[in-house]
Amino acid sequence: MKILIADDSRVMRQIVIRTLRQAGYDGHDIVEAEDGRDAYDKVQSEQPDLVLSDWNMPNMTGIECLQALRSSGSTVPFGFVTSEGSEEMRGRAADAGALFLIAKPFNEETFTEALDGVIA
Amino acid sequence: MTTFDTAERRRTVEARPVIAELIDAATVQAIAEEAWISLVGEEEVLVPLPGELPADVLSSWVDVVGPWTGSVVLTTGRRTAEELTRALLRDSAPAELEEEDVADAFGEIANVVGGSVKAALPGQSALSLPSVGTGPDVRNAADVCRIDLLWRGEPVAISVQGALPALPAPRTTPVHPTYENEVPL
Repeated sequence: MKILIADDSRVMRQIVIRTLRQAGYDGHDIVEAEDGRDAYDKVQSEQPDLVLSDWNMPNMTGIECLQALRSSGSTVPFGFVTSEGSEEMRGRAADAGALFLIAKPFNEETFTEALDGVIA
Repeated sequence: MTTFDTAERRRTVEARPVIAELIDAATVQAIAEEAWISLVGEEEVLVPLPGELPADVLSSWVDVVGPWTGSVVLTTGRRTAEELTRALLRDSAPAELEEEDVADAFGEIANVVGGSVKAALPGQSALSLPSVGTGPDVRNAADVCRIDLLWRGEPVAISVQGALPALPAPRTTPVHPTYENEVPL
């Protein structure tokens, strides 16, 4: 699978990649995006099988990216990895078409619970 | 029908809670511990003891805007912030850290701690992107929840602090508005 990881923090992208590996999701192609706009563009150019996106990012937020993708007809599976873990945000994410929301701080188990069945 | 005094109603609308009414030090500490385990490492311990911050400190913070408005500020020595950055990056830490790496990593810790603090507060709030540098001043000493911790023996302070000054006591006489931008004649 090709997984697009969108986060304006390079360190957090590294941590997400490391946690994926620790959760047993090894051997996938990883593409990185540094904000929502970059993620939107890379969904078009890279055709990932899954997007793991932060919520709060400059230029375009994660939710704006998801809404733009759905408006453009993209059905790419999309999940959030974000410090925005409130019920309100979970509701907004689900309404916009997100499959799951992993709240930071997370661990391997949190990843497994959300990604089991999503990542082949 | 009950009629409301408009000044009374305005004061009710303006009455904002202070942080001590919304969150306690034990909750902030639990939030910090969870963030440390997730980001810094499973074996990493935060000891709830105060230490003396060095002269050269660095802060990272996020702002929370909502029923309570303020900042969640982490402050530690610059060298400790660099050690935290290495801990977060682990194998991918470069031999020479750049300022950008430290700002990224230390800012992300504030983002995660601040996000959890926001989630623990009542009502709906917005969270800012993290900032790193000289932290915001305490505006109202009565609107602060601060914990002092030691990580690897080095002090780390976490302050959840209101952005607004204390509300003035209710006035009994009308107050004329001030015109800060008006040029005196």
